Amino acid sequence: MPPVINREKCTGCGACAEYCAEDIFFGSEKGTIPQVTYPEFCAHCSCCVYACPEEAIGLRIPLPMQLLYKDPEKMV
Amino acid sequence: MKEKRIQTDVLCVGAGIAGLMAGIRAAEKGAKVILAEKGHALHSGRGRGGNDHFWCYIPEVHGQDLDLFMKECLKGPKLKTMQSGTASRVLRTFLAKSFDIVKLWDQWGIPMRYQGRWEFAGHSFPGDVLTHLKYEGRDQKKILIQKACELGAEIVNRVMVFDLLKDKERIIGAVGIDTREDSLVLFESKAVILGTGCLDRLYPPPTPAWMASIPGNLTLTGDGRAMSYRAGADIVSPEMPKRHVGPRYFSRFGQATWIGVLRDPHDHPIGPYVTRPNRVYGDMTPEVKGVYLEELLKAGNGPVYMDCRGISKEDYEYMMHWMWHEGNAPLLDHMKKEGIDIRKHPIEFQTYHIIPEGKIWINEKGETSLPGLYSAGDESMGGISCAATYGWIAGENAADFARDKSFAGGDGAKGEIDARKELIQKVMSRREGPDWKEVNIALQQLMQDYAGVIRSETLLRAGLDSLRRMRKKVDQSMIARNRWELTRCLETLNLLDLGELVFIGADARRETRALHRRTDYPLTDPVMDGKEIFLRKKNGKPVVEVKKA
Repeated sequence: MPPVINREKCTGCGACAEYCAEDIFFGSEKGTIPQVTYPEFCAHCSCCVYACPEEAIGLRIPLPMQLLYKDPEKMV
Repeated sequence: MKEKRIQTDVLCVGAGIAGLMAGIRAAEKGAKVILAEKGHALHSGRGRGGNDHFWCYIPEVHGQDLDLFMKECLKGPKLKTMQSGTASRVLRTFLAKSFDIVKLWDQWGIPMRYQGRWEFAGHSFPGDVLTHLKYEGRDQKKILIQKACELGAEIVNRVMVFDLLKDKERIIGAVGIDTREDSLVLFESKAVILGTGCLDRLYPPPTPAWMASIPGNLTLTGDGRAMSYRAGADIVSPEMPKRHVGPRYFSRFGQATWIGVLRDPHDHPIGPYVTRPNRVYGDMTPEVKGVYLEELLKAGNGPVYMDCRGISKEDYEYMMHWMWHEGNAPLLDHMKKEGIDIRKHPIEFQTYHIIPEGKIWINEKGETSLPGLYSAGDESMGGISCAATYGWIAGENAADFARDKSFAGGDGAKGEIDARKELIQKVMSRREGPDWKEVNIALQQLMQDYAGVIRSETLLRAGLDSLRRMRKKVDQSMIARNRWELTRCLETLNLLDLGELVFIGADARRETRALHRRTDYPLTDPVMDGKEIFLRKKNGKPVVEVKKA
């Protein structure tokens, strides 16, 4: 579920929680690893991904939102 | 509950493109300005990730005849629908001012020129007038925030304004909540500018079980429209639907940034406009008829693909450059991770959910029908360039309005403030009942089934009855477990009000026009050309009027 925080890299600076417009890190405290309190409300805007100075956040796009495409080379 | 009181000449509600531009101009004109933003200004609103198209009139490019240009622009049904409810003199004022705003943004550091020139592409038919300037908007919000702060405007993040305060003569302030702390925030102001954006959460999203599967923003809940309606302002054409088209299922805006051809599974173009990727025009089919993609799917003739195969190396790089600026970084990252290469892989496209186009009525000064209340941006005029330009215009006029006014004092609105406090306390103190999400899903269900793609008097009236019955229950039982949920509850109450306006407006529009399809009135009524459905709250009840915007 997006976003996924790398707990080894995260320094608890709180940049992700500060900027998230949807406030999905609600209740997180600076200095600790943020909690993704409302993952279903994530808009997949990547602002936390790009705000993180440690590059500790990745987005996992939920299955219902996968991009559908055609691969003509591998078509049955 | 704690109370914070903030006094300011001009209060901007929402720090999106419109709010920021309004704040900048009002501050420049000498007003003390506060921008209240319920999220964070850096990443809020439709312009948060960037934009790459700016509708504007540049005389050296388009010729000296502004009226002709305006007429040419409105040929595309999409642009026309986006501007439904906007008076033509307001549109004209926007176009006349738009080039000034382009030059200002360019000066401030938002690159409006591409390789030193005015580059027009997208949102246009092959061989026809080019309407949209390409610009590098990725950092637009950062730059506008810096500018606003330089001029002394103050941004207050995490405050959701949810109701206006007024005395007998004018708007005197607004009431909000801190979205994180237990605090009511009372604004006393001489003028208020609403810039709260679209209405993205009223209809079921493309994936009904996944609310975040919308191309827009989950927190855009028409707050400005709802609070201005409750305060007695004119709302125009709340019933008119709009439907965007874009990638399936990773819903994103920016269809006009794609350089490709929409094709059926047999590789035949679905529209008549382009047969190979063209960097200037893209494929206009979805702008002529966005629901065409849905119709093809439902008839078993899908899927429909955005096919960029055959794109030149230069055009591919050009498109990727603009995708980044349009705010599609998450989509590009996803494609990279999944090994999807648009040069080889046609991407499925689909028609998205209904977004009502209703607006707060404004005049050419950005004033609403209530003295002291202004509006700009998607809630009164759709699109980024309209938001930028009318934000500026509304900011200027609000500052002028505020100049000779004095603060009204809070006592006149004490009753209104107490009522809001009571509402919050009740929602926060209940232990059992539906939360915001349950209410929101139930509302979306009613909207889709009774005021959706097919409408009729019997459906609309039955739907409105059910909505009102549900509303009574919600008012007595909705719960919030914390401030975050309280924020969503207040948004959902706004959605309930606006849902009601869609039903009433759709019932009053006894014709079929664009995507408003009435089975009992299947024809378009020419008498309604140039007229709109107006809705206003009078003595606690909605009043309908049909007149020119």
